[in-house]
Amino acid sequence: MSADQGRRRFLAAGGALTLSFAMPAWSAPGELPKSLDKSPWLDAWIRIDASEAITVFTGKAELGQGIKTALLQVVANELRIAPSRLQLVTADTARTPDEGMTAGSNSMKDSGTALRHAAGQVRARLMELAAARMKVPATGLALKDGAFIAPDGRRASFGQLVSGQELHARATPEPAPPAPGPKTAIGQSLPRVDIPAKVTGGRAYVQDLRLPNMVHARVVRPPSQAASLIELDAAAVMRLPGVVKVVRDGRFLAVIADGEYRAVKAAAFLARAARWDMPAALPVHPDVKSLVMAQPSEPTTILERGTRVGQGTKLSATFTRPFQLHASIGPSCAIAQLVDKRYTVWTHSQGVFPLKSALAELLAADEDAIRCIHVEGSGCYGHNAADDVAADAALLARALPGRPVRVQWMREDEHGWEPFGAAMVAQVAATLGLDGRIADWQYDVFTPPHNTRPGKAGNLLPATHLEKPFTPPRPKPSPQPEGSGDRNAIPYYLLPNARVTHHFQPRAVLRTSAMRGLGAYCNVFAIESFMDELARTARVDPVAFRLRHLDDPRAVDVVKLAAAKFGWDAYERTPRRGRGFAFARYKNLASYCALAVEVEVARETGLVRIARVASAVDCGEIVNPDGVRNQIEGGIVQSASWTLLEQVRFDASRVLTVDWAAYPILRFGQVPDKLDVHLIDRPGQPFLGTGEAAQGPAAAAIANAVFDACGLRMRDLPLDRARVRKAS
Amino acid sequence: MTTYRLQVNGKQHAVDVDADTPLLYVLRNELALNGAKFGCGLGQCGSCTVLLGDQSVMSCMVPVSGIGARPVRTVEGLGDARTPGVLQQAFIDEQAAQCGYCIAGMIMQATALLEKTPAPTDAQIRAHMSPNLCRCGTHMRILRAVRRAADKLAAGGKR
Amino acid sequence: MDHARRKRHTGWWLLLAAAIVLTGIAFGIMWRPALAPQTAIPSFDEARIERGANLARLGMCASCHTADLARPFAGGKPMETPFGTVHSTNITPDRDTGIGAWSPEAFTRAMRQGVSRDGHLLYPAFPYNHYVRMTQDDVDDLYAYFMTRPPLDAPARANDMTFPFGFRPLVGFWNVLYLDDAPWRPDPGQSAEWNRGAYLADAAAHCAACHTPRTELGGPDLKRQLDGGEAEDWYAPALNKNSPSPLPWTRAQLHAYLRTGMAEDHAVAGGPMQDVVMHLAQADEADVAALAAWTHSHLAQAPARTTPAQTSGPLPPPAPDDPDLPRMRLGHELYTNSCARCHDVGRSPGSGAALPLQKAIALYEPDPRSLIHIVDDGILPPDGEPGRWMPGFKAILSIEQAGALAAYLRKYGAGQPAWPGLDQQVRKARAP
Repeated sequence: MSADQGRRRFLAAGGALTLSFAMPAWSAPGELPKSLDKSPWLDAWIRIDASEAITVFTGKAELGQGIKTALLQVVANELRIAPSRLQLVTADTARTPDEGMTAGSNSMKDSGTALRHAAGQVRARLMELAAARMKVPATGLALKDGAFIAPDGRRASFGQLVSGQELHARATPEPAPPAPGPKTAIGQSLPRVDIPAKVTGGRAYVQDLRLPNMVHARVVRPPSQAASLIELDAAAVMRLPGVVKVVRDGRFLAVIADGEYRAVKAAAFLARAARWDMPAALPVHPDVKSLVMAQPSEPTTILERGTRVGQGTKLSATFTRPFQLHASIGPSCAIAQLVDKRYTVWTHSQGVFPLKSALAELLAADEDAIRCIHVEGSGCYGHNAADDVAADAALLARALPGRPVRVQWMREDEHGWEPFGAAMVAQVAATLGLDGRIADWQYDVFTPPHNTRPGKAGNLLPATHLEKPFTPPRPKPSPQPEGSGDRNAIPYYLLPNARVTHHFQPRAVLRTSAMRGLGAYCNVFAIESFMDELARTARVDPVAFRLRHLDDPRAVDVVKLAAAKFGWDAYERTPRRGRGFAFARYKNLASYCALAVEVEVARETGLVRIARVASAVDCGEIVNPDGVRNQIEGGIVQSASWTLLEQVRFDASRVLTVDWAAYPILRFGQVPDKLDVHLIDRPGQPFLGTGEAAQGPAAAAIANAVFDACGLRMRDLPLDRARVRKAS
Repeated sequence: MTTYRLQVNGKQHAVDVDADTPLLYVLRNELALNGAKFGCGLGQCGSCTVLLGDQSVMSCMVPVSGIGARPVRTVEGLGDARTPGVLQQAFIDEQAAQCGYCIAGMIMQATALLEKTPAPTDAQIRAHMSPNLCRCGTHMRILRAVRRAADKLAAGGKR
Repeated sequence: MDHARRKRHTGWWLLLAAAIVLTGIAFGIMWRPALAPQTAIPSFDEARIERGANLARLGMCASCHTADLARPFAGGKPMETPFGTVHSTNITPDRDTGIGAWSPEAFTRAMRQGVSRDGHLLYPAFPYNHYVRMTQDDVDDLYAYFMTRPPLDAPARANDMTFPFGFRPLVGFWNVLYLDDAPWRPDPGQSAEWNRGAYLADAAAHCAACHTPRTELGGPDLKRQLDGGEAEDWYAPALNKNSPSPLPWTRAQLHAYLRTGMAEDHAVAGGPMQDVVMHLAQADEADVAALAAWTHSHLAQAPARTTPAQTSGPLPPPAPDDPDLPRMRLGHELYTNSCARCHDVGRSPGSGAALPLQKAIALYEPDPRSLIHIVDDGILPPDGEPGRWMPGFKAILSIEQAGALAAYLRKYGAGQPAWPGLDQQVRKARAP
């Protein structure tokens, strides 16, 4: 059955009437916004039924970034209707378009743009229908509250216009004319539609789903990545109260029970009933630099411009970033059920369609037999364990057909087994010309993979633990301009002579994948720290030095705004305090973010306090200003935590940072005293996502401020207390 | 399994669970309450914070058999989406959530503070909220929401 | 003048003379002159400052003098003593509120005699009766370190002393009894490392200040060296033949413990000892090894004994004929439902994995206060630093429950006789 026929049957079965119109000439693909190009039928995105219910479909998922609300605003604006009149359905392989991953800060750019385009064409078509029905020119119609109003006051509502017709049409590349009247929902800080439930205990997360006849499962992971199961005596576990089944397949071990805490206890028992061989398989290195540099790498030059220059002052520096955790506050959870050879999986995966493919391979099932429905989890910040736990649940649903199986990872599972943020080394060298400008620039970044997402079953953790294990496919770097480990490795500055090389390391010591910003966090940290070092050598103010090398007016605007709001020019340094600045354009094509930070450093205790932050952001046309502020504030505070505290630690055989005690993150006592976000709105410019714009600049601004405060140039992340105490 | 009688949000409940079952699982499973969340089960993150008597506790560390007659309060007891309590409304007004997973715990932790210290200083709020982790970086808004609720209560608002 | 009157006059004169002499003596005990403020801070060479940094760690200065991590050595930390609440002072080189105007002589006098630059006597919460035995070189190194810290404005906080201890000159009498300024002497029968450890333990780390019991007047009871004492309402166990540790300490374990707060088969450092470990973790490795050597030589004198610590497994239910059966049953139930989940597993790198309680020294100590604090407040790593984590149960266990749990653990975990006054101690710990 083709997707189109299937959809029509589904829609017909639901009794909903959809919009379409006779197809004009089909425009060449590639001229439609990206998501529409893949899913061009308008009724895949917007449905209206006779009862006036308007349903919006998006292939993107709410991760806590406010996308549900923002997308509703986009559509509401195009339809000139209150957002509360709209229902949104997010990422569901049976119901929504396939928009790949909710990642890369692309949701507004992809889904927002697609919905704006589709909704505009829906509105235009409705307007034509209204004009025909009321026999008045379309230009004479007003639009209000889901109805077109003729000059003489007659009304035709959306529901009336589509009743009796089942229309189904492809979007065309040419955007619809703008809606009549002033902009409505876009540009307003509409309160987020998901927050009321979250503050009152309403159902909001996959963890809150309670399905009839549901059972609870826990997986017993090996004690280390390389551990193998020597023997297992599961008989006693089977006799524990509430245990329904013990599942073993290779070193994939799990227990299913009728109550959640019984599952927890049974899993602890099962862990003790297993004997493992734990080889010392992890390399021991004194520091991140030697660990990363010891791995084989494949260099690709991603920028080659001009030549190396002879004259001038030469500087070089090496920056490092350790493995770091997503460390989602709610460990990953999924529910799966197998009924009549069909799987349903409730998951907080960022990509329900790729997950579906991977599960199909894992279970040797047809893709059509699997439905993955996105339900919110806690913030994932990239590729965390969401897909792995979905695979756990699917495997256990197969072992216990008929009943929904809920798998909840424990804290130690998440901290110990999630794909980590990649450890990286960045080597920078530059020549400062006699004119105080950068004459040449070399940048080499060494990094393991930043993308081991499913697609393939081998990227699902439990698949690699089975008796007949799946092998992870060879990771591949994503090409520029988006990049992966080399994201933002090319500076946004004017550099007449520059060479940037990405040393991709296909094999990692520990499993790594996408973490918010990917390589941008470390690359911007390195580049913006080094820009400061260059500025000081040139004896130029760090802000002025950056402006000297920028010609994009939008970049200039954010830099100047952040500096102005911080009071950069009038700043007077006081003892133990200093200021730092940083700027980046995410991926060199997305949001612009500049920020200025003041810190206070207590060398003896190692405490770095952030006194205040002033940031400026340009994300194109702003849909929800408060939503943007929320994301940038969060990005800065999260980055402060990564930058000041976080590193994964391991010994010769296992990961050691398995809970919050071993892996502390920022607590209330250490968040900035003051944090301001200033927005530059660019109506008419494309939407740009803001989830990953602030992390890199925040890290560098903090490091630069630490240097300003006490003369310590710290190039190895994190700038934790032990390091600040030891540094001299 | 034993039957335990609990008072949760003013109502009496009888639950049949093992003696060592932490209150968190009883709230979520036997009583189908969503507010208190599983974050770590180790008493390290505060996502499971509820009130036991007048004290905030990490419900993942409270065995159901030890509660006795002490009343339990969860975020559901403060109000609902149509009539939110003062703190809940303050969190909505400040849009103090990103993923929101930690927020119910934050609200209960803040409730314990405001019941004992109706006019806290900013420093007291920060110190009191310390046991609760937020991974998304919503701290600034959470502090503003607690401040907002405190100010509202000081001005004579109802809890 | 007749004989009787002369006798009376002589009597009065004698009394007057005695009063004058006594007043003079008292004055001599209680009064010290002010030393002139220095006008400029001298400069110091890097090596001296570095040695001073190490000594500051060995001397635990920040334990009392840093109340706010953002303001090192600015003082303001309240310390409860039997004589009232004392606040630590600002020892950054701020001229007005710190020691910026203190000459090396003033600093030395404070360290050795407990006298402030302006002549007022310092309360012996500041352990100058230990620092008195520091060599002059070491004192000078410390001076160099402190005079090169960033100056911070932090005026001294008023103390809250019970009458009459607010009258500082009375400390002079304490000094007569307890300030022994004889120089420290090495023991020729011991190794260089042991002597280094002995010197550091006494003159810098002042272990005895917590681990030796105090007299009624708050001085060290020299007849009971290292017999166990207290600090901040925690019991500091004996480090000598009376050590309550259920398992013996090896030197390697002790060294690891002093550096990391953890050692195999022993409880993690809790309470004030956590701060000691934080300091020693940053001190010179060889110095810590020396401290371990010295401490071990005392601990090794504890006789070998059989305790439940040699066994393993979950703690048993109470005997059916236990005279206190209902309470012991309650304690056992609380243990099974609250503690066993982590403590029965046995310590491993996993997070919910903790010391089997048969090995927990707090259960063997003659004083229940450490156990009460551990149960109530847990043991948390310093904020922002990695470590191990035991949550606190103060809000979870009622006073009755906490008492029953403690009593049960004492008897069925450690096999020790009941703590007298346990319930009062539990209540006292909970009193605001």
